[in-house]
Amino acid sequence: MEVRGDPSDADVVARVLSGDHEAFGLLIRRYEAGLLRFATRMLGDRDVAADAVAESFIRAYRHLASCREPARLRTWLYRIVANRCKSYLARRRMADVPLDDAPPVADPTDNEAALERAEQLALVERALARLASEKREAFLLKHVEGLSYQEMAAVTGERIPTLKMRVHRAREALLQALEEQA
Amino acid sequence: MKPIDPRVHQALDREIAREGLPPELALQVARLEAAAAVLGTAVSQWAGGSVEARVMAAIRRPAPSRMWRLARWLAAPHSVTLRIRPAWSLALAAAVALVTLLPAGDETPSVGEQEGIAQFVARFPGANSVHVAGSFNDWRSGTIPLRDADHDGVWRAAVVLPAGAYEYMFVVDGERWVPDHLADRTVEDDFGRENSVVIVRPAAR
Repeated sequence: MEVRGDPSDADVVARVLSGDHEAFGLLIRRYEAGLLRFATRMLGDRDVAADAVAESFIRAYRHLASCREPARLRTWLYRIVANRCKSYLARRRMADVPLDDAPPVADPTDNEAALERAEQLALVERALARLASEKREAFLLKHVEGLSYQEMAAVTGERIPTLKMRVHRAREALLQALEEQA
Repeated sequence: MKPIDPRVHQALDREIAREGLPPELALQVARLEAAAAVLGTAVSQWAGGSVEARVMAAIRRPAPSRMWRLARWLAAPHSVTLRIRPAWSLALAAAVALVTLLPAGDETPSVGEQEGIAQFVARFPGANSVHVAGSFNDWRSGTIPLRDADHDGVWRAAVVLPAGAYEYMFVVDGERWVPDHLADRTVEDDFGRENSVVIVRPAAR
């Protein structure tokens, strides 16, 4: 996310394309956290997600000149990561099965509140993993990453009415999964 | 799947105020929002190193020279359509066969659970330090040093790794990335650069 005073995405892209390769690190720092969170929730595995995000950034770097609208770099990056996640899921044939039934490993130094948060996260992740990958993606992009339907359309290549319907179905499926776990 | 009351969707899309919702619908809105909030917590960094470090290491590695690309292109198999006299076709077929067969590498190793020892040997006279970086250490350049105990310019390291194939390069004096031309084989990375490949076989075999 751009912060006031920082160079815009378009400026940074221009710098990278003119030979300042180190400037690409600015873009990574700007979007790494969100992309890593999105990929982790999609794939259910932090290490695989880190691989997917790293590969996506390398791909983005290679094809930076083909980014037609550098001002919309964020959605372009989400699109690359989303496609990467789809490839992983297709390879692993795990799109519609639970991703990870094991709760996260707790650090023994964690306090009670942190452990409770980890348990809550595991509970929600298990419910999310029961959603088909398209619904999972729709819910995450809309409600976790905070994208507008227009941005989601740019990421997924789907039409806005399709995405609205998908978000509705995702909410219903997630609510049902959460209620069944409760 | 049980459909949700449309007012829940409207509240989540901020089209109506949630204060006016019946308690059971307000609970559904709150439950979905809480789930989104939990999923929105930051993911801690990957144990193997930050994504930024990995990506920037890949970007900083030098691009292959034009000569190297030309050599790779010449050595790689390409489909070519030619109209040619039969007398020449035999000679051309022999030449094409030679070019396409030359880069044939080793067989892919069977991947097992056991560990093996990867031996890295490289000759860098005058170097102050040599490290090996590769897919086994997330391309971190300063973690696995090679030693030149007798100062003859030949640097060595033996590294225990799980059996498998790994891409790697040498890092000379902390900044010069050099492929190992004595490697089992080489592959091209995402940037069209040459990586060496070491195949680690289980020591128990």
